[in-house]
Amino acid sequence: MMSVIINDKKYDVDGNKTVLEVCRENNIYIPTLCYLKDVSEIGACRLCMVEIEGYSRFLAACKTMIKDGMVIKTDSDTLKAYRREMLELILSNHNTECMSCPKNGACSLQRLCNEFGVDGTDYKGSRKDIEDKLPKLKDNPYLLYDPSKCIHCQRCVGACGMAAGNGTLKNARTGVFHIVDAPFGSDWKETDCESCGNCAAACPTGALVLKRRQNYREWETKKVLTTCPHCATGCQYYLVVKDNKIVDVEAADGPSNHGLLCVKGRSGSYDFVSSEERIKHPMIKNKETGAFEEVSWEKAIKYTADKFMELKAQYGGDSLAGFACSRSANEDVYMVQKMVRTCFGSNNTDNCARVCHSATVAGLAKTLGSGAMTNPIYDITHDVDCILLVGSNPEEAHPVVGMQIRQAVKHRKTRLIVVDPRDIGLTKYADIHLKLRPGTNVAFANGMMNVIINEGLTDNEFIEKYTEDFEKIKELVKDYTPEKVGEICHVDPDMLVEAARMYAKAPKAPIIYCLGVTEHSTGTEGVMTMSNLALLTGKLGRSGCGVNPLRGQNNVQGACDMGALPTDYPGYQKVDNPQVREKFEKAWGIKLNDKPGLKATDVFPAAIHGEIKGLYICGEDPVVSDPDTTHIIKALESLEFFVVQDLFMTKTARYADVILPAISYAEKEGTFTNTERRVQRIRKAVTVDGEMRSDIDIIIDLMNAMGYPQKPMTSAEVMDEIASVTPSFAGISHKRLDDGETLQWPCTSKEHPGTYIMHANGPVRGKALFYPAEYVPSNELPDDEYPFILTTGRILYHYNAGAMTTRSKGLMDIAGEGFIEVNYNDAKRLGIENGEKIQVSSRRGTITATARVGRKVSEGETWMPFHFEDSPVNVLTNAALDEFARIPEYKVCAVNISKL
Amino acid sequence: MAKELAKRGNMNDRMEIVLNKFKSRLTSYPPGMCPLVMYRSILQMSMNQSCGKCIPCRDGLVEADRMLGAILEGEGTSDTLKKLEELCVMITKTADCAVGVVAANTVLDSLHEFADEYESHIKNRRCVENVIQTVPCLTLCPAHVDVPGYVALIHEHDYAGAINTIRKKNPFPTACAYVCEHPCEKRCRRSIVDQPINIRGLKKYAVDQIPADQVDTPTRNVDTGKTVGIVGGGPSGLTAAYFLTMMGHKVVVYDEHEKLGGMLRYGIPEYRLPKDKLDEDINAILKSGDIEVHLNTKVGRDISVKELREKYDALYLGLGAQIGNRMPVENSDAENVIPAADFLQKIAAGEKMDLSGKDVVLIGGGNVSMDAARTAIRLNAKTVNVFTRKRDDYTALESEIESAKEEGVIFRTLLNFLHFEESVEDENKIAAVWLQPQIVGEFDSMGFVTTEHSSAYPYRFKCDLLILGVGQRCDVADFEKEGIPVERGRILADETCSVKFAEEGSDTETAIKESKGIFSGGDCVTGPSTAINAIAAGQVAAYNIDEYLGYHHIVDYDVQTPFAMPNKCIPTGRAEIEERDPFERRKDFEHVEVPMTPEEADRESGRCLRCDHFGCGDMRGGRD
Repeated sequence: MMSVIINDKKYDVDGNKTVLEVCRENNIYIPTLCYLKDVSEIGACRLCMVEIEGYSRFLAACKTMIKDGMVIKTDSDTLKAYRREMLELILSNHNTECMSCPKNGACSLQRLCNEFGVDGTDYKGSRKDIEDKLPKLKDNPYLLYDPSKCIHCQRCVGACGMAAGNGTLKNARTGVFHIVDAPFGSDWKETDCESCGNCAAACPTGALVLKRRQNYREWETKKVLTTCPHCATGCQYYLVVKDNKIVDVEAADGPSNHGLLCVKGRSGSYDFVSSEERIKHPMIKNKETGAFEEVSWEKAIKYTADKFMELKAQYGGDSLAGFACSRSANEDVYMVQKMVRTCFGSNNTDNCARVCHSATVAGLAKTLGSGAMTNPIYDITHDVDCILLVGSNPEEAHPVVGMQIRQAVKHRKTRLIVVDPRDIGLTKYADIHLKLRPGTNVAFANGMMNVIINEGLTDNEFIEKYTEDFEKIKELVKDYTPEKVGEICHVDPDMLVEAARMYAKAPKAPIIYCLGVTEHSTGTEGVMTMSNLALLTGKLGRSGCGVNPLRGQNNVQGACDMGALPTDYPGYQKVDNPQVREKFEKAWGIKLNDKPGLKATDVFPAAIHGEIKGLYICGEDPVVSDPDTTHIIKALESLEFFVVQDLFMTKTARYADVILPAISYAEKEGTFTNTERRVQRIRKAVTVDGEMRSDIDIIIDLMNAMGYPQKPMTSAEVMDEIASVTPSFAGISHKRLDDGETLQWPCTSKEHPGTYIMHANGPVRGKALFYPAEYVPSNELPDDEYPFILTTGRILYHYNAGAMTTRSKGLMDIAGEGFIEVNYNDAKRLGIENGEKIQVSSRRGTITATARVGRKVSEGETWMPFHFEDSPVNVLTNAALDEFARIPEYKVCAVNISKL
Repeated sequence: MAKELAKRGNMNDRMEIVLNKFKSRLTSYPPGMCPLVMYRSILQMSMNQSCGKCIPCRDGLVEADRMLGAILEGEGTSDTLKKLEELCVMITKTADCAVGVVAANTVLDSLHEFADEYESHIKNRRCVENVIQTVPCLTLCPAHVDVPGYVALIHEHDYAGAINTIRKKNPFPTACAYVCEHPCEKRCRRSIVDQPINIRGLKKYAVDQIPADQVDTPTRNVDTGKTVGIVGGGPSGLTAAYFLTMMGHKVVVYDEHEKLGGMLRYGIPEYRLPKDKLDEDINAILKSGDIEVHLNTKVGRDISVKELREKYDALYLGLGAQIGNRMPVENSDAENVIPAADFLQKIAAGEKMDLSGKDVVLIGGGNVSMDAARTAIRLNAKTVNVFTRKRDDYTALESEIESAKEEGVIFRTLLNFLHFEESVEDENKIAAVWLQPQIVGEFDSMGFVTTEHSSAYPYRFKCDLLILGVGQRCDVADFEKEGIPVERGRILADETCSVKFAEEGSDTETAIKESKGIFSGGDCVTGPSTAINAIAAGQVAAYNIDEYLGYHHIVDYDVQTPFAMPNKCIPTGRAEIEERDPFERRKDFEHVEVPMTPEEADRESGRCLRCDHFGCGDMRGGRD
């Protein structure tokens, strides 16, 4: 504690803070312009200058540390006059055509000039001439830099370098003048710019802006706080709405994004809302013509309900299935599973987590007692010693997490171990990159454990107190010597040993993993070996540690939490547990089926075999996103009745008998649960023309039509029902969230603050389980006919099946076509040139793709994104399923590549 | 007409003060400047100097300035450039006095020297090296040591913190505290106020307060299982060893001498760098991690390069340049003719030599010559004469020359060696050198003055011992035989310290990839240079070896730089390091410098302007 005097008043303050921070905490106003916390704290604009006794110069409060006994004056006639002078000097070099400036009304310079009564300047300015001559840089589809409005405050440079951790936007010089080297010129595609726009968000004037800002003025808009619908980072932002149309997105300081957004969140999350391609009316397929015909809601609901009930009467409830979507809101998902369980009378409900992180849900539940990310994003990227990143490319798939990892590694001296078959961007900064062969994660982890045990790096106290079956692990990993594992994984044994030591010895080290671990026929075992590693070294239940799956989709965590699982009611309460079932029977007032249902990936074969007759899909597109497309289509064609509820005529929807038009996240209330178990609100921002309705409303109508008396409910009321039947959600309500609380489940009562770090008081399971998993090779290995391994994944600019992102023109400009990464040696051998269209085939089909030749993938390996219609990679992938979670092996199948 | 002397305190006298302020601004020009901006400043100064009489100078220079200004402001075209050249040529041919002629010539020089910069401004409206201003001390230190950081720590009496801050970039805080040529001080911003900070002096104060080997090095990374072989245990080799071991690699060092330290031990005399102080650095380095040392082992003789390449994952060649050159003159291999490096090495290795009653002659004016001259004084030589052909040949630090003079070394210049006269008594020895007086002539294209024989007669100068301070070279023959590329006695390596196997003009990444795992730096690549240059090379090589091996290890340090407050900038004298009484110090090999007092260190470190925090230092890229 130190004591300072500010404006003649004594304050007791904490040290290690700047004068500005101390003043702001005590509500003492100091104007700032160039300052942006943690991004730009350099004292360039001098507006925050204060008088400190003992110094003849005025000091910038933003970068002067508070010291005991300081006597500070934040305002005086001189300070006022000088601040005014600063503004006049800035104006002398600033293009003041405010009328046409997109930032008119939102410009900090304008605001400060108004505040200080500066309406012009007598100074002539020195840089104006040259800055008028420097060209506007505007070739990037989203961003524009206009030097004539730049005040050289450095905020954009800091936003790119420090906050986004990228550093493409640089300081430069022309003669005597500093300039901002913005990467938006004609060579923008060759730069490392990710078009995330955090620079534009940081710019206090109209110099660096999103081009679309020209379409509105600040005062014409309202802003609606909501949650990004892309990945599961759960970034908070405002939808900026003008005349019932979303015109922009503005980052909010959310607990997981801290004011950052990625290109998808900022620029790819709303064009689709008002797309002309939205389905606007319910439709029933004319069996004779095969064409969809618009019908009334009454008719569509009745037709659908009758059809399902007919099938139920004829074949029994177990012949019906209904999938929720991990993109939908919690409340919607809850209603889908409730409908399936109460109306269909089966437990055949699931969601697309099945094809991404079901292995996590199953694996971690088995070993730790809870299948979710243990620690929050902030906790594992700030103040940690080492990050073990396995099968995860967060810079592209979870960009805002990627940015925070970049910050940690580049600015906070965190060590990084990347375990990935490709040279992903982060390998540039990784202490070690284990470029392992796809499908060998279990061997890798067993090898790590072999070293940790042999070198005595285990946390014996933790193992003793909190785990069981350690002996089994000890026995299992004996054979996984670094040399043997090196051979299996194609990695340098030395690097494996070092990685094991580095991870084990680091006081704070999280494991962060993603689909590279789960999407294998041994995915669940892959997940369990991750938890084995953490248990072995006692890195669980502590800050900066844990087992941290980065969940794929915006609400994939929530979709599982809400019970869209064939084995679980909401909150992972098991359907085969009689007490649980009794509770739900009481709550829902109906007898429930005690037989666990079919998993989504099992539903399709069952349809082909005639066991599933009717299917309801709320918002998924398995024809694009599930493996082995031909097989999926065959399954859909085998169904007697198939209903799709969606925004667009997806490839899957084309096979439906009924299409029910729904509304998007921007048109409704609800919640998403992000990867950190954080339940966050989405809010209605606009109404789009058409007959589309909310999922909840449609489902309630369907339920009533199917004979279940479901009273109408708002989204908030649905959440209250969820809380009443789900212990881990008992304390969660829209009201608490709207009142400004941020809640991570488990949140067991209205007073419970939520759970920041899981397993903090010992593993949820009681004793965590070591699960010994032998390495089993992938289901389909390369052979003479199909000599290459193919792995699939996401790229930064698109999202999954592309329903949202491919409708953003800018994203398509940046990345608009499918491609295949090929190793340069393989390419040389086959005579394939970079950029050449080639043929890719597997046992299941053949497609074409543009070759990207380089060193990113190893020899004998290839990689493709799955977003693009022109290269539909799931025609090739293998539907080999994991034993526990029935997750398909997207990450390994055998293919051949050849010149066209 | 009555006459009078110039009035005391007249305007011209008063202008002297302004001139001094001018000079201090000049010396503190920071790194990261645009050359055209500097040229424009010179041109504007020249305009000020124009008397206003002749038209080309009076009006022509102003027009030239306008054109240069237009180019800088992004309005220039290739026509502007052409016009500027024509105008300047005209001025050189038409101006009445040197003010105009030289000014125009200066601009013409710039057109040739910085054609790329002009082109960049005309085409891209920006500088070629599109970099911003940077912190002078930090940039100019070849190893980029965080100078403001450790000076601030010294001010707070945290000497261990200061030592570890230095170690971030340089594991020889002690050796550099004693002998560094301190390029960091060259453009110290404090010159604007008074004089540069005595950075080396402060560093010495720190290592004098707490021996470096009593300050734990930061925690090293876990073992990587990789081993790097290092040839040469000098500053460059040991620096590479230190950083590599911090990254977790095992290091095996080979050195032909009995002890580690290279030229720091065998080239720099005890009175400048006491060996027990050097040992403090070396002990700390050896303690820092997994470093194995093989002394008395000469690579090429005792173990082949091939063997090393097979044994280790990568190699670093830091051979140094330890063989003293002789002159291509008859009798230069006589018994009493010895290269300075060999002379110093003998003394350092403990050979007793008594030069009582002997006249010693030295050729060469570099730092090594100064060390040899002052060593000869301490060996009781009757006279020590240093001869050089011209004043430019005194490349040694001014302070070294000054100290040598105080100790009785005689300096004579404008003398050319004709030949070494054989002794009548002993044909293996020389008895005298013959010197030809010189006169100075024009400057050559490199800017050095040329000399020619004067009409005065040559004369004979008696000499009992002749020390040749005419450079050193590296012992590369064995390496060349084993396929290491060598040119003119130096190993060929690029700025990444990768031995050049890659094609000329390859990018950094390719150069490292194709180095075959062999890296080299320091004197054996650059020719004889300073310790800090060798250290910088060792550091760069270590990081690039790590890259070559497929890693990007960070080396972690946990030192918090004290927060900065503005300096009051009260002009204060620079605390120079004084040396002991010359009449005393010339009699022994004890360290010559008088330690700074705590008051001096306090005041001196308090002068630092903290450019790391103020000005460009906290901009992104300002500390690169």
